Parts: sequence; C-alpha cells; structure tokens
Amino acid sequence: MTDSTWKRPATKIAIAVAGLAAALTVAACGSTGGSDNSDVPTAPGGKASGTLNISQWPLYIDDKTIDEFEKATGIKVNYTEDVNSNTDFFGKVQPLLANGDSGGRSILTVTDWMSKKMYDLGYLQKLNPDDLKTVFNHLIPSLQDPAFDPGRTYSIPWQSGMTGLVVRTDLAPDIKSINDLFDPKYKGKVTMLDELRDSAALVMKADGVEPSEASTEEWLAAVDKVKGAKESGQIRRFTGNDYVQDLAKGDVVAAIGWSGDAVQAQADNPNIEYVQPEQGCILWSDNMSIPVGAPNSPAAYEFMNYVYEPENQAQIVEYVNYISPVTGVKEILTKKDPELANNELIFPSEKFLSKCSNQVSPPGDDAQQKEVENAWLSVVEG
Amino acid sequence: MTTLRQRLVPYGLMGPGLLWLALFFVVPMFFMAWFSVSSGSLEAGWSLTWTFSNYTDAISNYTTQFGRSFLYAGAATIFCLLLGYPLAYAIAFKAGRWQNLMLFAVIAPFFTTYLIRTIAWKTILEDSSPVVSFLKTIQVLPSDGRVLATSAAVIAGLTYNFLPFMVLPLYASLERLDLRLLEASKDLYASATQTFFRVTLPLTAPGIIAGVLLTFIPAVGDYVNATFLGGVNQSMIGNVIQAQYLVINDYATAAALSFTLMIIILIAVMLYIRFAGTEALMGDEEEASA
Repeated sequence: MTDSTWKRPATKIAIAVAGLAAALTVAACGSTGGSDNSDVPTAPGGKASGTLNISQWPLYIDDKTIDEFEKATGIKVNYTEDVNSNTDFFGKVQPLLANGDSGGRSILTVTDWMSKKMYDLGYLQKLNPDDLKTVFNHLIPSLQDPAFDPGRTYSIPWQSGMTGLVVRTDLAPDIKSINDLFDPKYKGKVTMLDELRDSAALVMKADGVEPSEASTEEWLAAVDKVKGAKESGQIRRFTGNDYVQDLAKGDVVAAIGWSGDAVQAQADNPNIEYVQPEQGCILWSDNMSIPVGAPNSPAAYEFMNYVYEPENQAQIVEYVNYISPVTGVKEILTKKDPELANNELIFPSEKFLSKCSNQVSPPGDDAQQKEVENAWLSVVEG
Repeated sequence: MTTLRQRLVPYGLMGPGLLWLALFFVVPMFFMAWFSVSSGSLEAGWSLTWTFSNYTDAISNYTTQFGRSFLYAGAATIFCLLLGYPLAYAIAFKAGRWQNLMLFAVIAPFFTTYLIRTIAWKTILEDSSPVVSFLKTIQVLPSDGRVLATSAAVIAGLTYNFLPFMVLPLYASLERLDLRLLEASKDLYASATQTFFRVTLPLTAPGIIAGVLLTFIPAVGDYVNATFLGGVNQSMIGNVIQAQYLVINDYATAAALSFTLMIIILIAVMLYIRFAGTEALMGDEEEASA
C-alpha cells in the first residue's frame, strides 16, 4: 500500500470509524448467555403509593377506571397501550428484561403462552397470594389452575376471549365450521390469523385433533393443510387485528378472528357476527404479570386487587366486551345492562364453550417447537 | 505550513458524525455479523460457532422472497422513472409560476406518515372500489378478479411511496441544465427528440442514477407495502427478516438474511454504477473539464 492511500480522506475516515467501532464493541460486549427461572424473586408487597407504569393492549380498558383508581388510592398511573402483538412486544422488551430491567413497567399484559415463555426465561416475578386477597376471592374457578401456571403463581388474568369464526352472515350464511373456510366457493374471500396457536390449532380441531394432545406431526399436518389452501389461492391473507376492516368492506366474507373484535365490529355492522365453530373454539387469557426489575410492586398488587372488585370489573367489561375472569360481574350487569349480560360472547355458558380448547404451544423441546414454528412462518411469509 | 490546530479542525468537524456512525451503524453491524455465524436460541443463549450454514440455509429457504424483493423493487423503480422523469421535466421547464406549488405537491404526502399512506391504498384498491370496478369495466381485470393482495398492488404501493425520491433528484439535475446547450442543439438542426436523447438525457444522467439508487435500495428492503397490500404469496425478504427476529426470535437466521440482502444490494449497486453509471458520470466530468 502506498503512502498516498493513507492520506486520502476516505481512508482516514474509514480507519477512524473502524477504530472507534472496535473500541465500542469491546466495551459493549456483554454476556449473551441464556436465562432460566431458577432464581426468580417474589415481588414484594406493602403500602402502595407513588407511580405505577402499566403496559397493556389497545382498547382494553374504559376511560374512567384509571382516574377512579388514582383518586381512590393516590397512586399516579402511566397507562401505556404498547402491546400490539405478543411477539412484537417480546422482541421489544426482551433485551431489557434479559438484563433484569423492566423499562419502568410494573405490570405488563401478555397472552398465556407468552406469559409462560417469559416466566421460563426468568423475566417475570412470582406473586405473593397474601397481597392478592381480592383477586383470589373473585377469580373464576375455571381459571384458577391453568396447565401453564397451576395456582396462578405469576400470572393474573386480565380478560379472556375466544378464537373462532368471524363471518359476514349476509355474504356467507352457511359457514359453520373451520372446514367451511376451505370451500372453493369462498376462494380468495377468507383470511386466517397469522398466529400459529390460533389458526393451526383451530384447523386441527376441525379435523378432530385436540391441540393439547397433538404430536409434532399433527401440528405439521395442520400447517400443511393451511399451506395447500394458501397455494391454491383459497386464503387471501394472514392477518393481525386488521381482518375486521376486510370484513367490513366485504373483501373477505369469513375470517379466523377473536370474539371481542366481533362484538365491537357488530356494533358498526350488524352483519358481522362471531360464529362458534362446530368443532369448538380456542380459549385464551391475557394475563397481568410483574416483570423482573419492576419498580413499585405494592402499587401493582393494589391495581390487580382494584380491577378484581366486581363493581370496578363490570365497568371494564361493559367497555371491552371480552370474557371477564371475575365472579359476580354478570349479576351487576344484569341490573345495569341486561343485553350485555345475556351476550354469550361476554358471559358464555358452559354449553357454548363445551368443545373449546385452551390455547397451547406445539409440544416437545425447543427444537421440535421451532420446527413447527418455522413451518408456520414459511407458510405465513411465503 | 499548517498548524496543529488547523490540522485538527477537520477531525473536530467530522467527530460527531463519525461517533454517530460508529455507534449506530458500525457497532450494530459487528453484532449482526457475530449473530449471523452463531447458533443457539433465546432460551439457551447464543454462542459463536462459525456456523456458516446459517447463510446457505437462509438463502436456499428464502430464494423466492429474495427474488421477489428484487423484482418488485426493480419494477417499482422503472415505474417511478417512467412517471417521475416527465413530471420532473414539467416542473423544471413547463410549470412557470406553478413550479413551487408543484414541488410542494410532490413533497406534501410526506406530511402524513408512511404507514397511513400505505393503508390508504387499501381503501383505494379494495374489491368494490371505483378503481377496481373501472379496471373490470375496461376488462383489464376479470369480473371476479381483485387488485388488493396481489403483486400488482405491492408494486403500485412501492411506486407511489418512493416516487418523490425519484422526482427530487431528477428535478435538481434538470433545474441545473444549461438551457444554452439546448439552444445550441436546435441551432445545429437537431430535432426535439434528438435534443432530448442526445443532450438532455445524458446531462441529467447523474440525477437518474441518484434517483434510481434512492428508490431501489429502500424498496428492496421494504416490508410495509407487502404487509398491507400483499396477500399470501407477496412476502418480501423484509417480511421474512421481521418475522425471524420478532416472531420466532431466530436471531442467527435473521442476521444472516440481513447480511445476505446487504451484500446482494451492494454488489448490484456497484455493478450498476460501473456499467450504467460511469459512462454518464464520466461524460459529465469531461464536460466539466472541457
């Protein structure tokens, strides 16, 4: 290399940048080791005061509850609707949580399988039942011992919901089963959720396979069935919440979707209706948890107890239209808003849910789960 | 002789920019390179194993999406050029007192966010929209056809979103065009067509090259248009990378895909500048030195 090369400004800049970068990399290179939950602490209780930061899904609370909670307790709440999808939220907070930092959050809300994943990684603290007396007094029996968190040691349900069919009854009145989505009559007019644990699970249920007992092969078979329908042009899109707009426009006549969305969409367009699939739905809950490094856990306990007071819960349910995990709410709403209290999507009867399954992840170890997830991804992102 | 102080001035001026680049571009690149040859999982942690098969796997599994990204971005770039050049020409030479207003109109969409503009296209192209009905009436589309959730919709979205990036550099180079050269061409009995192809076009080649690069490079990596306007067979490589990072947390594959994309773009751009670019750029240099 000649001397003049070194004097060229571009070369000088390149060397300066590389040198600086190398120094910063060395300085920043921390551990990238894995995590587990062997030393998860229990969130301390005590007298609640100060500020409480909550991460929540959009449109998941009415506009009065937070103000009333602040007035009743003197706690200042920063309520942030920054959970748009389990996976995206996880991707955002994971680097913080891996370092034991919650980013200031004292409560975050994610779905069952994600709660478990976070807990297994050591990102969630254990909860002290003595600090959650109201919660455990009013938690409905069916949610007290879920398979992923028996006895509710780290997750407290916020709301539950059903994944099933959301149908334009004027355009596709005969859709009753997930299998009807594969009817060539509706080619290019149906969508599925891009969530493996919703869509693939419903497809296998329709073929008589119970998701919680399914093998890796059965999951892969369900994924394959969806793949066939995608390649033939049967399925128009894989969606998040945005399937509601497609249905409203009539671009799509039937979708795999969530019950609460259907209740809200129906208010605008009476032809949009939730249809319980003949072979049953997928049941899930979104759960409040206290992440590691959370400041002010006493205030978090206080908030959980507050929303489990049936009166306060009724106010939330009136607005969000999902299934409430709190006892005594139906009785309150029967007086206040009988139509709501009789809605099977908000207060489902046992019969309505009889064929439904709880949402589960594919079975097996990390590699086996990844195999299914990768197969699903290559279908959704084909 | 320059004093020490004088020699340090350039570094002082470059310093903040260099630090910024090093912190937010070069350091992340090191980490990405590290991840791209690592193996592991979020649960078990990642370790450097020099697994170069991450690259071969990533490329062989997602060849379609790579090809599609370049196809869509290439088509969008060509459409942007075909739409943008006449537009920039009109703004530069024919707009008269409307010039500033027309330039403003080109930039105006930026006052709304990218996301909202793309979602607005969903309404424009929905199955029952006037646009789609019109296409059906003139039989461009079969009566049961659709635009939304097809490749055409994604390319249309990309073309729309990146058009200003094409128009502005073209306008800048047309604006600088020495009108006396056009007069000279006319004086030498060149027709309007000849003048355009032998004077105007070569002299604005730097603008075309800049416009093509500014349009093509971000369009290849885009995933917003495919997300909202595409269907099940329109995923671009950006969608795959996003899903690998955020949905299944396979950082190694995601990093390998990102690097592969970067390298392909780099090679493509270098080839482009070498073959399409130098002649035009050199011509410009000769012009300047003459």
